[in-house]
Amino acid sequence: MPMDRYADMEDKLRILEDLNMMYIRQIALSLQDSDIQKKIDHEIRMRDGACKLLAACSQRDQALEAAKSLLTCNTRIMAYMSELQRMKEAQVMQRVARRSDGTRSSDAGPMDDRLPCKGKVAISDLRIPLMWKDTEYFKNKGELHRCAVFCLLQVGGEIHDTDMVMVDRTLTDICFDNTIVFSEASPGFELRVELYSCCSEEDYSAGSAPRKLASKLSSSLGRSAGKKLRVAMDPGACSPTSNAGAATLLLPGPAVAGPKYHLLAHTSLSLSHVQDSFRTHDLSISGNEECSYWVPLYGSVCCRLAAQPHCMTQQMMSGCLKVKQLGGDPPSWRNVYGVLKGTNLFCYHRQEDMEANVEPAFTIAINKETRIRASEKDPHSKAQSICISNQYGGEEVTHTLSTDSREETHRWMEAFWQQFCDMSQWKQCCDDLMKIELPSPRKPALVTSKQGSLYHEIVIDTSDDISTVTDILTRRMQELELRSQLGTSPPWMSLFEESPGGPRTPRLARHSPRSPHRLPHSPLSSLRCPWPGLLSSDASLTSDSDSPCSTSPCSRHRGWAEPLSLSSPRFRPRTLSLDAKLSTLRGRGYGGVLQCSCQPPSSSSLAPIPAQCIPQATLSCSSSTSSNSSSEGSHSPSSLDGTPFSRPSSARRSLRNLRAKLDPRNWLQSQV
Amino acid sequence: MVEWEYNNYLMVVKVLNDFLSKLDSQCSCVLQQRIEIRKLRQGEHLILGFSIGGGIDQDPGQNPFSEDKSDKGIYVTRVTPEGPAEVAGLMMGDKVMQVNGWDMTMVTHDQARKRLTKKNEDVVRLLVTRKSLEQAVKHSMM
Repeated sequence: MPMDRYADMEDKLRILEDLNMMYIRQIALSLQDSDIQKKIDHEIRMRDGACKLLAACSQRDQALEAAKSLLTCNTRIMAYMSELQRMKEAQVMQRVARRSDGTRSSDAGPMDDRLPCKGKVAISDLRIPLMWKDTEYFKNKGELHRCAVFCLLQVGGEIHDTDMVMVDRTLTDICFDNTIVFSEASPGFELRVELYSCCSEEDYSAGSAPRKLASKLSSSLGRSAGKKLRVAMDPGACSPTSNAGAATLLLPGPAVAGPKYHLLAHTSLSLSHVQDSFRTHDLSISGNEECSYWVPLYGSVCCRLAAQPHCMTQQMMSGCLKVKQLGGDPPSWRNVYGVLKGTNLFCYHRQEDMEANVEPAFTIAINKETRIRASEKDPHSKAQSICISNQYGGEEVTHTLSTDSREETHRWMEAFWQQFCDMSQWKQCCDDLMKIELPSPRKPALVTSKQGSLYHEIVIDTSDDISTVTDILTRRMQELELRSQLGTSPPWMSLFEESPGGPRTPRLARHSPRSPHRLPHSPLSSLRCPWPGLLSSDASLTSDSDSPCSTSPCSRHRGWAEPLSLSSPRFRPRTLSLDAKLSTLRGRGYGGVLQCSCQPPSSSSLAPIPAQCIPQATLSCSSSTSSNSSSEGSHSPSSLDGTPFSRPSSARRSLRNLRAKLDPRNWLQSQV
Repeated sequence: MVEWEYNNYLMVVKVLNDFLSKLDSQCSCVLQQRIEIRKLRQGEHLILGFSIGGGIDQDPGQNPFSEDKSDKGIYVTRVTPEGPAEVAGLMMGDKVMQVNGWDMTMVTHDQARKRLTKKNEDVVRLLVTRKSLEQAVKHSMM
């Protein structure tokens, strides 16, 4: 069967991925680097979470956000894995080199191989202009074609994503308000900006598994990755050393149905693009008009790319110095506390002044034009002195510094050389300190539906109005619970609660089917309250006794998708007409049947599934929390056909049945 | 050394590939189980003692038992204690692949129910897959 084959392939992929992780772990262990391993593990957990969320969410916005997180996590995982591979290679090469010439390779490079300091690189105010054709503006072809876009920014191993923006033809530019700061960038950094987009109108719901998997495999295993995979599968093919570099099995990850982002445009920025103001850069666009994810870009991106090398923001060197006073013979020396930071050597009277933020006594500029040399040994002092010459106006001013010991002088010289190296590498960033505004901590985006008011949520359907309202109210309660995570109920709930303490919530894990279902006491007490029909906290009557709870399951079953198990702990709020319906129900003598199924279930294996208390109405949703009574026949075997109880209007009922059957939000269960 | 590790790894990959390619639904040692349930007569009904959920006309995202949330197969959502199904070894969470030879992977919910409740059949023979088995196999290969 083709289905099985695809299932096998999925399993294969999953197992290979596990093996890949094992291999990566081995490498990390051998490198004795647990840092990257931890990062990879973290990203994999995030990715799993995003996959689960993607599979569980129903709203398009949520799906798009989850798909975005998934893409970011995948990219990060690939980056970490590549880095791990590189480190491993470097280690192997080193070992090989050592083995071959038998000597230990020198750890520190020669003095000339000085590494420039790292710095912070920040990109902000990204703006990508769009160029809609004039026909687009005037086309009124139904809905707007909308795309969800976001940017992925990468420097070395650090990958950040911007927020998602919905683009349609009413926008003239795509603006990302985020400021993204990369904290440890070298001057030779390459900031890769990638713009991803996804059409916001596709149907992401599961197609047939083979088609989905086939498309997943074909799209994610590109030619080169597929080649690597094939090469790796064939063990006899190549030598390991050559393979070690090329064949990191970067598997595509779990196959998930959902929106998929595609690369729309990209560009690379580097030190030469850094400036303290906005600049426009070119974008390389991939894709064309035929693609679903196409957005007509003008072709450029404007942004502000700033850099703060550490030498400009941090103290590179500090210590006591002696500055020769001009004039006088023998020359006198003044003791100062010098701090080398940025393009200046600040000289304070005392160290305490610097800590107290008092103005320095004087400042010596150390910039590109400064010349520093160590002078010959002064016959009067033991140590060498350092001469710093600057041009102020047309004049050359030289300061002479000295320290107490040779080592100290050496250290200062080192610091000055390092400063020169940094300045030559960071170039324009060292002229002046560029301002970088740190982004304020972002609150996690609350993914709520666009219109959050109850009014908009209600779907007005003449025959279902009451149940819809109660349904929505229940859902709101569940949402409130999710957010508060406490047992406190909203203030208006007290109108409906019986027990003064409020119903206690049974919190049950979704996948612990065998744990006994502990019900609070309130359901029993509820039997004696004016609403006799309520069995357990899970049960709820819909407005119409005849209704097969067509709307209730959807609110209940939604609970499965939520991370916190919400076994609909509260009574549903009731309305007056509901009350009336119930009394008629009671009058018809259903009370007896209802009560017998209300025994508190001692061991129920399906806590989240609500008990459907109206026997004849539970045709479609008949699983109940009371395992004892329901199976033996007090409930009729659920079928939409046979029912022992009479119904007031069978026509309406069959309509409801039909609606229940056709309602895609239901997940029917039948007892056999 | 990296060469040894890598070769080992590739060898394991190859072995795994061979193993996986042998997997098919007929292999009894792997992922599926056959369960025979004798119906119990209760009054005028013949019951099996379990509940099912799922179907191609149902929303697969609400299935708490499926690994893949787009799986529209028929799953066992409840097993009555001491009922015929439990006695026969059916477990909650099992995915029903076949019933008496009829395929259950591409049926509507109602069709599934009907195939299980045929009045002229005393015994149903189910072919089910169980997640725990798969996991066990996977873990044993690690």
